[in-house]
Amino acid sequence: MKRNYIYSLMVTGLFLLTSCMKDWLDREPRTILSDEQVWNDPKQIVALLANFYDRIPAESGLTDINDGADGRLFQWRNMANYDEGMWSGQSNEDGRNNITSYGFNSWYLWNYTYIRDINLALENIEKYGVSLSATAKQQYSAELRFLRALNYFNLVKRMGGVPLVTTQLIYDYSGNVSNLQLPRAKESEVYDFIAAEVDAIKEVLGNAGSTTRANKYTALALKSRAMLYAGSLAKYNGLMAAPITMPGGEVGIPAALAESYYQKALAASKEIINGGPYTLYKNNPDAGENFYEAVTKKANNKEVIFVKDFLLPTRKHWFSYDNIARGVREDNLGSSSVVPSLNLVESFEYKDGSNGALKIRTADNSDFIYYDNVSDVFANKDARLYGTIIYPGTSFKSLAVSIQAGVMVWNSGRNAYDVVEGSDLGTTYSDGKLLTGTSGPHRSIQEVSNTGFYLRKYIDPNDKTSTRGVQSDVWWVWFRLGEIYLNAGEAAFELGLTGEALTYINALRERAGFGMNSLTSLTIARIRNERRVELAFEDHRLWDLKRWRLADKVWNGSSSNPDAMIYALYPYRVIRPGDANRDGKYVFVKMVAPRFRAPRFFQLGNYYTAIDQSVLNNNPKIIKNPFH
Amino acid sequence: MNRILSLHIPALLLLALVIGCKKDNYEKPSSTLSGKVVYEKDAIGLRSNGVQLELWQKGFELFTKIPVYVAQDGTFSASLFDGAYKLVRLPGNGPWVNNTDSIDVTVSGNTVIDVPVQPYFVVRNAAISKAGSTALTATFSIGKVSDGRALESVTLFVGKTSIVDAVNNLGSVAVNGADITDITVPVTINMNIPGSLTGQSFFYARVSIKTAGVAEQIYSQPVKIE
Repeated sequence: MKRNYIYSLMVTGLFLLTSCMKDWLDREPRTILSDEQVWNDPKQIVALLANFYDRIPAESGLTDINDGADGRLFQWRNMANYDEGMWSGQSNEDGRNNITSYGFNSWYLWNYTYIRDINLALENIEKYGVSLSATAKQQYSAELRFLRALNYFNLVKRMGGVPLVTTQLIYDYSGNVSNLQLPRAKESEVYDFIAAEVDAIKEVLGNAGSTTRANKYTALALKSRAMLYAGSLAKYNGLMAAPITMPGGEVGIPAALAESYYQKALAASKEIINGGPYTLYKNNPDAGENFYEAVTKKANNKEVIFVKDFLLPTRKHWFSYDNIARGVREDNLGSSSVVPSLNLVESFEYKDGSNGALKIRTADNSDFIYYDNVSDVFANKDARLYGTIIYPGTSFKSLAVSIQAGVMVWNSGRNAYDVVEGSDLGTTYSDGKLLTGTSGPHRSIQEVSNTGFYLRKYIDPNDKTSTRGVQSDVWWVWFRLGEIYLNAGEAAFELGLTGEALTYINALRERAGFGMNSLTSLTIARIRNERRVELAFEDHRLWDLKRWRLADKVWNGSSSNPDAMIYALYPYRVIRPGDANRDGKYVFVKMVAPRFRAPRFFQLGNYYTAIDQSVLNNNPKIIKNPFH
Repeated sequence: MNRILSLHIPALLLLALVIGCKKDNYEKPSSTLSGKVVYEKDAIGLRSNGVQLELWQKGFELFTKIPVYVAQDGTFSASLFDGAYKLVRLPGNGPWVNNTDSIDVTVSGNTVIDVPVQPYFVVRNAAISKAGSTALTATFSIGKVSDGRALESVTLFVGKTSIVDAVNNLGSVAVNGADITDITVPVTINMNIPGSLTGQSFFYARVSIKTAGVAEQIYSQPVKIE
């Protein structure tokens, strides 16, 4: 009986087991999504797109990502590498002030993994996305193609012509890989590809009104910028004493093509300006604050076209912690890493349109000019100076930023000033008044401005956002209407349409506090300066100088060239009892920034980045760029 | 006993370390390849650490170059293993006509070679001297060696040390190539000595020729001005 009982148990067990086994091998995996599941579910596709948007590379940015192979380049520290600013943060990165020459592999990008991922997505959405609606399928494909075109733009502006891969390259195990080894396209062909892609997708992109996903106007903004680059490359390369070209056109665009590229840039820009839902940001009556808000403010901002957004409390970055002015920092560490240069400050013009060089010495250079207030020397400057830079006498987060390097004490015996600077910040001189400001500048203390200026652009105005605990969610602007105006202005000017160019440039200048129609004539130098001041720290300066073929002239590596050096402006309080015209006033000393060591040096071989030896080894059809 | 042990243990450990280090390390390269970049047997004046030659060695898995920087007097040297190398003059790197033919070099012990190049222009008979106490005058002839590239500019550089070139200088005066109508006539460049050098008992000066479309310039040897 007992044995029967055991047998029946075994049989039941067997029965249970077999019934369990029935679908054992045909179950759906619980942790892996199949292609059919992914490519038929809009939520999954959007999640994938988010990853692709996140991988758009930039030379600078607001976070600290450096993975060139994948294309995740987004490093704010690189803002300190050019002539807009320098490094004043922790001294372990002082190498940025000592770049004896830019390496030939600088700005390297070869992110074909990213392009492959997009190509794969484009093919899978066609193959597996059977239950997606036709419009959805079309829209997602267009979005992917936009990202691919944007990436080719990022490649071509660094490397010159690159292989145009638009389908998956699949190895057939035949032992022969020559069909996968694509040669470099012509530089002009890559730009033509970008224009053609934008034209093909702009009407089906959807996402109207979105600033974080591509829509019609985002694509047009890409075209506006890319065509302007192509046009100026064609024109200014041709004007060089010896143009940089290669026989196959891998680099170098024939000068004859310049006009058609400029026309395309102008047309795309006009389509955005006239047809788009964007307006220049003018919500704040104070022109300086208004310009600051145009870049940083998220609410009700009709100027931005395409941004990389951040959102507290989870999607955040350290930019404010690392770069806020020293005296108003909220954490006990960090601050002041990238500081603007005097070179940039002086490129902001005076409101009457005169040269922006600060007036710190008398005309015959015999004495200082004495100012009642430390901010007076900056009076009547382009309001964009205030919106971009914290200079002496301004405030941030409603707190005064105290910037003073020391005091100048008159020594009647020597008939000259003794310069006294504090060994620490926020110190007082023996007269009981301020010696060194809480924000410096200081010649040697790290995390204090070395130039006398601090960044305002991108620094979060909200409470506690410069602390490690909270951090900041200011967004990074890829494209905004201000740039489109400048693109339109430059393209129109190059095409000889000076009147039209003036309307665009004057519109921007009016927003910056200049009068109506402040310019009546234009030169290319003026347009270049407008770009420099309007787009400071927005990842334009390097690429602009490259496409104008000016980088090797401006940054020529010579320490006797003022453009290649980074200058500082140190304010001092004058102590000269008995001289009422001078005592208690402020004077300014211009100098090479003390922590700045080597002039910026951009060589002819930097116009196109050297292609990595491993790429050359793997694909013998890829040829090297000139000078490498 | 304890005292003897504690005295000897560090010594023993050190010995073990020394032996251990030696055991499985490669020998360091013991041979030197040195030489100079020449045109018609004369070394070429260059920018300090500006021009690079490349050495390649076949037959190893990692096929990467060994960069060799050329000093401002045209000399270079590299510590290498004995073996066969290919020396490449990088295109567009130096102030001379591109010549990508590699030079076969067999390094065995201390090897000396000359690397011949064909400059576009050379500086001949450079004479730099003070004219009075605040001015400097340089006179030199431009020798055109190769056709195909235009003369962009000629420049006089001054600096505190003998390392003086387009990057390391305290002042410079350039004359545009377009302003030199006849390059067979000696060129004269005048300069006011910069304030940072007027108080010095001596300084160095050098002239250079820049060829259009070539990043590096070709220099005279530096002249000590007293």
